[in-house]
Amino acid sequence: MDRTDDVLREYFAVPAPAGLDARLRAALREEPRALEALIDRFHVEASERGVARLAYGRGRDVTAGRGRRHAEQARQELAEYLAGRRTFFTVPVDLAGVGEFQGRVLAAANRIPFGQVTSYSDLARRIGRPRAARAVGNALGANPVPVIVPCHRVIRGDGSWGHYAFGAALKTRLLELERTTPLLVGCASTRIVCRRGCAHEQRIGENGRVVFASVADAAGVGYRPCKVCRPRDAAA
Amino acid sequence: MDERTFERLAEEYAGRLYAVAYRMLGNRADAEDAVQRALLKCFAARATYSPRWAVSTWLYRAVANVCIDELRRRKVRGHEESLDTVSAVRASRGGVGGIASTPTASIARLDLTRALARVPREARMLMALHYVNGLGYRELAAIRGISVNTVKSQLARGKAILKQALQAGGHDGSD
Repeated sequence: MDRTDDVLREYFAVPAPAGLDARLRAALREEPRALEALIDRFHVEASERGVARLAYGRGRDVTAGRGRRHAEQARQELAEYLAGRRTFFTVPVDLAGVGEFQGRVLAAANRIPFGQVTSYSDLARRIGRPRAARAVGNALGANPVPVIVPCHRVIRGDGSWGHYAFGAALKTRLLELERTTPLLVGCASTRIVCRRGCAHEQRIGENGRVVFASVADAAGVGYRPCKVCRPRDAAA
Repeated sequence: MDERTFERLAEEYAGRLYAVAYRMLGNRADAEDAVQRALLKCFAARATYSPRWAVSTWLYRAVANVCIDELRRRKVRGHEESLDTVSAVRASRGGVGGIASTPTASIARLDLTRALARVPREARMLMALHYVNGLGYRELAAIRGISVNTVKSQLARGKAILKQALQAGGHDGSD
């Protein structure tokens, strides 16, 4: 024990703001907003190469040949994503039906990391067409596989949402969901850190989950990155 | 664990969880949000709570997880340091979240906030849990899922970085 300990103890003694208890009690009584239920409102079209279209509204999945496997995988991953248990998609996407420009826009949108947002003009710069912000907006608006290709992570330069095929309210809820879902989860018993949604991560017990801010942070306290989901690549 | 028991627990721990979150995130709104999210998560998972664990370990882990994830987002946005400094200045002026005190004490606190911003996240988290709640090494290890030796070395390293930053004075214009 030295003087630093006393100084720190005093520094860390923060009084709680007035009314904190009441606000927390009210929050606990609120019904959780179930985004999971939305999964029944989507239907999936898939070809042999992957998911070709994700549409809103009731309807049956449309699959061609071996596309059923992809449709099932997409449905499973979407359900996990909407429940806050997944931060990335592994189901292949079939973009054969889109033009060259739109393909580039969608590929760039796909690289926006989970939980982050960028602007239409920034995305236009990233594909080397800095003056094409509006065209980028149109290309994203016609995104055949929303959510899976995360066009909801693109917002207007002034911070407003802009157009979203499934409505602004859903865009808000998706971004809210991503804001409250952790990206890197370590297993306290194996000391391995995974991306949320990795098959190994999903097996971690509720009492063994430790969240990290980066793979380097995790490595600093004795965790190694998972070899399956490769969190280092994702968090870069 | 039934709803009533959980509510009583939440009430008992809210203040301490808030103090940890406030010192990690640097402002009242984010801290309150973090405590709320952590408690909601625990509430939803209260069926899986195992009595093998101390209740405090369970709650502190939840709030630490939320705070660390929030810091990850800030790192991506790239203004972790400036946010900390801004809220420290605000706190030192109005006494928000801090104890009302003399100008010298608030300058000292501002220095401490700046110095703490240099301590790596994991060590800072352990320091907050250690100094707010007086938690021992074993409980800190259980909360962050690390070994007791790692806890000791992280705390020692954090304190060394802090002392060095305080000695440098924090007024070298590098902020």
